[in-house]
Amino acid sequence: MLLATVIFLPLAGALVAALLPAGEPAQHRGWALFVSAATFAASLGLWAGFDASMAAPEFQFELNLPWIPSAGIGFHIGLDGVALLLVMLTTALTPVVILSAFTVGERVKEFMISLLVLETAMIGTFAALDLVLFYVFWEAILVPMYLLIGVWGSVNRLYATVKFFLYTFAASVLMLVAILYVFAHDGGSFDYLAARQSLQVTPGAQTALFLAFALAFAVKVPMFPLHTWLPDAHTEAPTAGSVILAGVLLKMGTFGFFRYALPLFPDAALAWRPAIAALAVVGIVYGALMCLVQQDMKRLVAYSSVSHLGFVMLGLMALTAEGLTGGVYQMLNHGVSTGALFLLVGMLYERRHTRLISEYGGVAKQVPWIATAFVVVTLSSIGLPGTNGFVGEFLILSGTWLGRMPGTQLAAAVAATGVILGAVYMLWLVERVFYGKIGNEENRRLPDLSLREAFVIVPMIALIVVMGLVPQPFLAPARPAVERLVTRMQEADRRLRARDPARPPSVGTQPPAVAGLPAAAPGGALAALPAAGEGR
Amino acid sequence: MPTVSANDLLALAPVALLALGGIALLLTEVFLTTGRRGYQAGLTVAFAVAAGAAALAAGNLGPVFRGQATADGFAAFVTVTVCGGLALAAMVGASWLGARDAERGEFYALALFATAGMSLLAMATDLLVAFIAIEVMSLSIYALAAFMRRGRKPAEAAFKYFILGAFSSALLLYGTSLVYGATGTGGRPGSTLLADVARGAGSPLLVAGLALILAGLAFKVGAVPFHVWTPDVYEGAPTPVTAFMAAGVKAAAFALLARVMMATYAGTAGSADGFFLQLIGTLALLTMLVGNLFAVPQRSVKRMLAYSSIAHAGYLLLAVLAAGQPALRADALSGLLFYLASYTVAAIGAFAVLGAVEDRGTGPGAEPPGACDVDRLAGLSRRRPLLAFAMAVFMLSLAGVPPTAGFVAKLLVFKSAIAAGSWALAVAGILTSALGAYYYLRVVVFMYMRPAAEGEPEGIFSPLLSVALLIAVVAVVVLGIGPEPLSGFARAAAAMVR
Repeated sequence: MLLATVIFLPLAGALVAALLPAGEPAQHRGWALFVSAATFAASLGLWAGFDASMAAPEFQFELNLPWIPSAGIGFHIGLDGVALLLVMLTTALTPVVILSAFTVGERVKEFMISLLVLETAMIGTFAALDLVLFYVFWEAILVPMYLLIGVWGSVNRLYATVKFFLYTFAASVLMLVAILYVFAHDGGSFDYLAARQSLQVTPGAQTALFLAFALAFAVKVPMFPLHTWLPDAHTEAPTAGSVILAGVLLKMGTFGFFRYALPLFPDAALAWRPAIAALAVVGIVYGALMCLVQQDMKRLVAYSSVSHLGFVMLGLMALTAEGLTGGVYQMLNHGVSTGALFLLVGMLYERRHTRLISEYGGVAKQVPWIATAFVVVTLSSIGLPGTNGFVGEFLILSGTWLGRMPGTQLAAAVAATGVILGAVYMLWLVERVFYGKIGNEENRRLPDLSLREAFVIVPMIALIVVMGLVPQPFLAPARPAVERLVTRMQEADRRLRARDPARPPSVGTQPPAVAGLPAAAPGGALAALPAAGEGR
Repeated sequence: MPTVSANDLLALAPVALLALGGIALLLTEVFLTTGRRGYQAGLTVAFAVAAGAAALAAGNLGPVFRGQATADGFAAFVTVTVCGGLALAAMVGASWLGARDAERGEFYALALFATAGMSLLAMATDLLVAFIAIEVMSLSIYALAAFMRRGRKPAEAAFKYFILGAFSSALLLYGTSLVYGATGTGGRPGSTLLADVARGAGSPLLVAGLALILAGLAFKVGAVPFHVWTPDVYEGAPTPVTAFMAAGVKAAAFALLARVMMATYAGTAGSADGFFLQLIGTLALLTMLVGNLFAVPQRSVKRMLAYSSIAHAGYLLLAVLAAGQPALRADALSGLLFYLASYTVAAIGAFAVLGAVEDRGTGPGAEPPGACDVDRLAGLSRRRPLLAFAMAVFMLSLAGVPPTAGFVAKLLVFKSAIAAGSWALAVAGILTSALGAYYYLRVVVFMYMRPAAEGEPEGIFSPLLSVALLIAVVAVVVLGIGPEPLSGFARAAAAMVR
């Protein structure tokens, strides 16, 4: 019941807000903040009550009620460790986002209602254990997000929001066909567990199903070359929309791979894994290169998301315990640090009403606290040791390097250049915006961080540091889910090898003796990698 | 000498009530000395509700009138749906006609007669009874389309509808005669559509007859390539009539189509070949494609909704197709019924909002160009926030976005299509429905994200309209979040089909 409470508390809050008068913006701000804070408090109960041991049941806080029994659809919810972490990310980000959106002056009531409805849909997506329920929450995200971008966005918002909606909607409807096909071939159930247990389809059909799911998820991630909606949506969205989009919505795609595409269709997933990993690597490098030429801060951060999510996808596709754990951890990191970047860019935007990098320069003297926060967040984003970003990227790269996917070491090596490029574009951005001489007179009269803004950004920075120094509490819940996925994929791999004895094993970590050999691989960028041997 | 049993009368009660309502309205209109017609919409709603209740009360009586009709759950569900559509359309019509000073008793009387035809059609299992029911329905609707008789567009719409409708009726009748010729049982006691078709198994004459009947019905539901009348007629007819037509005619015609389909594939081996299924599959594919593709460039929301109604007919054809497999019949028919119900509320609601804001022009017969342009909706969320919200809900439901009734309806229909093995058609359908999201969303874009033009009038305010919209919005949302009562009912109704 606690989980259902966490899911529907924001929606209930939104319904109450709908009854409050629109002419009282302060009331709506306060109410939305209160509701989201209460949701966070309730979700702490989930965090405290979650048993992260391997012996604990896979899905906890389970609730299974009939919803549309005549069509075989149930209201089945529950959390594994990964879903728990993402739910926590959602509930923690939302109050921060709402606090940051106190500056929205137009149609405050509708804005806050949209955010609260969005929160319910996001939590529901992570908690759903019924395929149709999952699809309902997944699609329900679109409407509030569409309104957030389209109503409160900047100049080109109509183009951006329609593109966002159509791109994601068109990619998702095929997933609905796939879900219906699964229903017809798993004994007539939409339940996730039943589908995973007893899906019986031909290899060709499994490939088609996997691709239908993967398309929906890949657009959401977004993976190269399906990413083109993201820079537009991010740039035109209001700050709150960008933060939610980067912080949580993109994770729905990677979560979808982790929860649905891989375990439901393991054989097809193994076959397509090299292609997806290759696209992830291309995305890493391409996103980073695109960052180098952006004039617009938000667009730059958006492309950096393409690059960072490429890392997450690479870690997932490695199918090693390290890679998967790193991928999950990097989902959280990206939510925190890119969310924080969008918040800070939003603060600058509110002061200067421009996102162009060239309009800034030397503002560190005027806004030292914002500059400090920005530098800390930048360091986290580029994965400096001691910040959360390091833990995630390190695990992903070492996990990929040690994996058994064909060409995995090449993938890790190329991906590692993304780390360097990441440092280049982020530090260059900091330099152009905050350091140097003040070239623009308008930049001389900027107020520094206000108390409200401090309350917005300090929790983010605290998370960055804590997750960088003490990652264990955040890694532990994910472990059982990761181990189960590796086992499941190993079983599928074994099955395929039994059919085709010439096939080398492709899941899990290579034995240390083999892993030790290519430690002298070319490329200075791989300097961190020999440490992987000790890490294990 | 055949006698009429109590069951026969009970089964006929909904039709009789609706016809009685029509007569009552005609009579009171004759004796009316004042211009006060406030009671008429209320009376219509009352008769519609009574007829719906009578259909529910009659329940599952089985074959009546010696097998010429059947009062099963399927018929009851369709009757309730069309009666609900009538009630909503009457409330919308009262406010729309009232604002134009054109409210007359004939409007409601004709709508009631049309609904009587529809509910008879839902029960018909004999082709001649079905033909009579279709004519009762169609003649009333032709007249309704011409209700604003001074305008050029309504006249054109009504004339076009009448000519093409008469043509389709002729096809239907010719097909019927071929079927009777093939089976040789027409007019004899105990002859029913079901029995006839099964008896004529394998006869080429039967296949030709069924194909003609299919063509005639495809005209009525607006399936491609028999759809060309739809956009003009929908655009030219008074908006409440369009709403009623889109929902009611579709529901009734699909009821007969489903019965023909079931009769053709009654489970007896060799009763028909794959030809008929392929025909319906092709129709469905064309209808989904053309309806959605042509809806995209429309500037007039009314015309866009006309093309979208074609697209919805395509999705419904998928359910009809699946109903051809006896094992999946209950699934497919319950999907069809749920879809009809959800389309009825969402489409009537959408037309109602459109009717409230469309340009009235300056006098009777005036037809301002672009009366229903999407520009008329610009900034509606600021001028009339509740109206805009209702329209947004209807658009999302028609687009099939969860959590609305339209999503559940699409889910059920596509589910049965995939279970029936026509997953390629389902993929085509779902991709075209993604295209649908584009034009439905454009309406939302205009309402919420575009500033209003200067001096836009606020449109119609009317308590009746508000009530109708409230009912429709609540129905769309409740059916989207908790569809079980209705989908369970649809399933029970589909299981009872005879």
